[in-house]
Amino acid sequence: MRIARGALALGAAALAQVLLSSYLPALARFCDLFTIVVVYYGLTSRPPAAMVMGTSAGLVEDSLLGAILGLNGFKKTLIAYLVGSAGSLFMLNQAIPRFGILFVASLLDPLAELALSVAMGQGFNFPGAWDLLRRGLGNGVFGLLFFWVAARLP
Amino acid sequence: MAGLLTERKPFLLLLVLLTLNLVLMSSRVRSDGRGTLLEEAVLSLGAPFLKAASWAAGSSVRSWKAYMGLRGVERENRRFREEIRDLSAKMHDAEEALQEARRLRDLLDLREQLAYPSVAARVIGRRAAGGAKILLLDRGSGDGIRPNQPVVTPRGTVGRVIEVSPGISKVQTVLDPNSGVAALLMRTRVQGVVVGEGERGCRMDYVSELSHVEVGDVVITSGLDQIHPKGSIIGVVSAIGEGEGLTKIIEVRPEVDFLRLEEVVVLLKPEGPPARETR
Repeated sequence: MRIARGALALGAAALAQVLLSSYLPALARFCDLFTIVVVYYGLTSRPPAAMVMGTSAGLVEDSLLGAILGLNGFKKTLIAYLVGSAGSLFMLNQAIPRFGILFVASLLDPLAELALSVAMGQGFNFPGAWDLLRRGLGNGVFGLLFFWVAARLP
Repeated sequence: MAGLLTERKPFLLLLVLLTLNLVLMSSRVRSDGRGTLLEEAVLSLGAPFLKAASWAAGSSVRSWKAYMGLRGVERENRRFREEIRDLSAKMHDAEEALQEARRLRDLLDLREQLAYPSVAARVIGRRAAGGAKILLLDRGSGDGIRPNQPVVTPRGTVGRVIEVSPGISKVQTVLDPNSGVAALLMRTRVQGVVVGEGERGCRMDYVSELSHVEVGDVVITSGLDQIHPKGSIIGVVSAIGEGEGLTKIIEVRPEVDFLRLEEVVVLLKPEGPPARETR
């Protein structure tokens, strides 16, 4: 049942992200639904499940975006592990801490990509501080909305 | 050993998954750019849903845009109606100004043709009490107007000034039953006196039964009353009847449309029979 819900959430996130990119591209730049889903699972599931979700979400994202397969998988897996670890160490079931972890996860994403690009000897344009801030705020706000909706689902 | 593995299970899983991703990345970097089996599988599975969602979203967006467009059309329609109303009012004003300009030009032409100095005046009031047909003008003695001065328009004779104040004057029209204008028929030069009959127009009296008169004959002022200059049109004979005694009854339709009269010219004749002046 949990696997089915996870798959469903992942599918819905993928669909919503594609539609958002098509019709509201300005908003899509500051809202990474895959990261939000991964953070959600990182905080609400056991670490192995969260990491599997992270890998799956990343691979689906890679497939849809045409990115190097495994790139987002790597990042999302790492994020899921770190969020899961943070969730086991701290109380992250309130809105403000959750906003904070979503914000940090949004910053981790480009940082991890930068590290990978350097390791693979490829160029990477690191986003500016203002862009990162907007991305963090956007994911924080949409993430809290996602948490709120998810908490009310049967 | 087994306990350590269990304790480190998440970390080991992380390593496995990261390695898996790295392997995938490496294979992709080495490949010629074609999609992997996993990518193709994800795209194939997701394609129908993506297409359906895209169609639904596209329809929603189109509907929304159409709705917003309709709202825009409604707003635009309202704006156009207001503009039409404004333009109609402006057009009406322009038409009014044009007509006034034409009338004033005619008055100007008339003033240039007149033998006397003259003053143009606006009709600011009408009185018809007791059968009298009186006009009030916005010019008075301050403008040189005196009693018994004739009042004309480009169409013909209007009447004469009977009272003046510094800023206003009163005109007895040829329709007034108390008025009498010395007249003659332009074609036959038969003379008579035109008196007013109120709403019915005018009547020409003192025309001999033997005189040759036809409907359509033009009646003009003869100048014998020493008020109206000779040759100004009064009207046209509209009917001829047998009168009592030796005269005819000649109905005259005035040339001037008194109901629509707005501007007139007062001839500043220096002399004329005495009349009442008020202050």
